[in-house]
Amino acid sequence: MGKIIVPFGSQHIALPEPISFLFETENEIITKVEAHIGYVHRGIEKAAITKFEYTQLPYLTARVCGLCSITHAGAVVHGIEKLMDIEVNKRIDYLRMLVVELDRIHSHLLANGHVAEVVGYENLFMQTFRAREDVMDVLEAITGNRVQYDYQTIGGVARDMDSEIAEFAKKKLKKLKDNVLKVMEFHDSDYTFGLKTKGIGVISKEMAAKYNTAGPVARASGLDTDVRAEFDYLPFEEVGYKMQLRSEGDVWARNMVRFDEILNSIEMCENILNNLPEGEYKVKVKGRPKGEVVVRVEAPRGECFYYLRGSGKKVMDRVRIRVPTYANIPILKELFLGAKYSDAQAIVLSFDPCMSCTAR
Amino acid sequence: MLKMFIESFKNLVSEPETIKYPFSPSPEPKGYRGVIHYNEELCIFCDKCENICPPGAIKFVVVDYESGKKEYNYNPYLCIYCGACVRECPKADDGCLVQVEKRMPPLGRSVPKGKELGYFINRIENPKEVEIKWREIEEMNVKSKEEYKAYKRAKRVKKI
Repeated sequence: MGKIIVPFGSQHIALPEPISFLFETENEIITKVEAHIGYVHRGIEKAAITKFEYTQLPYLTARVCGLCSITHAGAVVHGIEKLMDIEVNKRIDYLRMLVVELDRIHSHLLANGHVAEVVGYENLFMQTFRAREDVMDVLEAITGNRVQYDYQTIGGVARDMDSEIAEFAKKKLKKLKDNVLKVMEFHDSDYTFGLKTKGIGVISKEMAAKYNTAGPVARASGLDTDVRAEFDYLPFEEVGYKMQLRSEGDVWARNMVRFDEILNSIEMCENILNNLPEGEYKVKVKGRPKGEVVVRVEAPRGECFYYLRGSGKKVMDRVRIRVPTYANIPILKELFLGAKYSDAQAIVLSFDPCMSCTAR
Repeated sequence: MLKMFIESFKNLVSEPETIKYPFSPSPEPKGYRGVIHYNEELCIFCDKCENICPPGAIKFVVVDYESGKKEYNYNPYLCIYCGACVRECPKADDGCLVQVEKRMPPLGRSVPKGKELGYFINRIENPKEVEIKWREIEEMNVKSKEEYKAYKRAKRVKKI
């Protein structure tokens, strides 16, 4: 049989994101891949250095992505605080850490739910999303909104947390943990789910290191890379952060690493809620950002990189964003070669691609 | 298998997770970030809220150059409800700018009215005009401020 070119995306029933692949297939085996990204380019980097002042930047970069809005706003806030020499107290650090970890939980649950959906488990997808609703409620109670949190501001956080919300969060997190364990056990033990996910799209440790992968994709192959351990921006070690590693490197391992991280994040959130330090939730801010700084933060999908340069003016000189999905696309292309077309959806979604981040 | 049956039976008798929106109401939760309310009597016209607003949904227009009177214009359909203006306002503790726990109704056949929403939305009758009128306000905002500055400079020159 001759070669057939199958378009996959930019609008596809399995893909929540606008990314387009052109697969050249021979007897259902993919032989050549062409990837197109950038369907949702909005020019945010240019807007950040022309239209918006540095005080408005956290609100602008939060709109880069709906799922990791806290990460992007947080990265800008950390960078600007470094440029302006602002020291924040322990309570602010802990509150920021709490929302970052809650954000990671809901993003990972979404990713795992989507993988379950494309391998044919629609009900598992719904169960995962039902569990996710609890963490969304907690975030809504803390920040006041479901998607765009706008919680981190320069020199503090937007609002303080009282004991009533802390109790509510603890109750919800306990319920969430039970639900997550239930879903995780199904992933672990189900035979048919294993057939669809185990041994599919395997990345070896050498391959992961060679292609410079980031986030859960790298950790599922046993590559120990995590910005929370490497870069000093929030005291994660104090609240019980542990790096989660798996060695299989297939679709199933990537899902399981995300579940491990969810359980670790829940533990961290409970620790934070139990030992929240006393103090103000805002500190005084003076001056303007001057100099240049590099910030690395751990987004749910991996390392998110920011470069900021200011020269004492209201508008920054340069804002450069590099997101984890962009780092993972080369290995994604490599994985498709030799894989079956029917596995392509599971492979893409196990990477948890975020195109609105990548195209900005 | 037995576990599954018990689970199914539990789900059969337990309450549903979802609500029947739009047939039943979906109330705003406690601490919800909603519309910004304004009190003109307490305002000191420092323009801090206008300068911080990321989408530019707050614009002051100078209407009377003699007394320097400014009018507060707020577009709730451009607002992103981040609450940055309230955090910046020096009189926020007294109640000059407040973020209430209320949603703005979607722009349908009528435009919501109220003194606390500022001058802009109260002067509009047709909901289709909101966008065009807001563009006029943005132009007026720049123009009136320049003219007011020129007027003040001319006045100072005359005095000397």
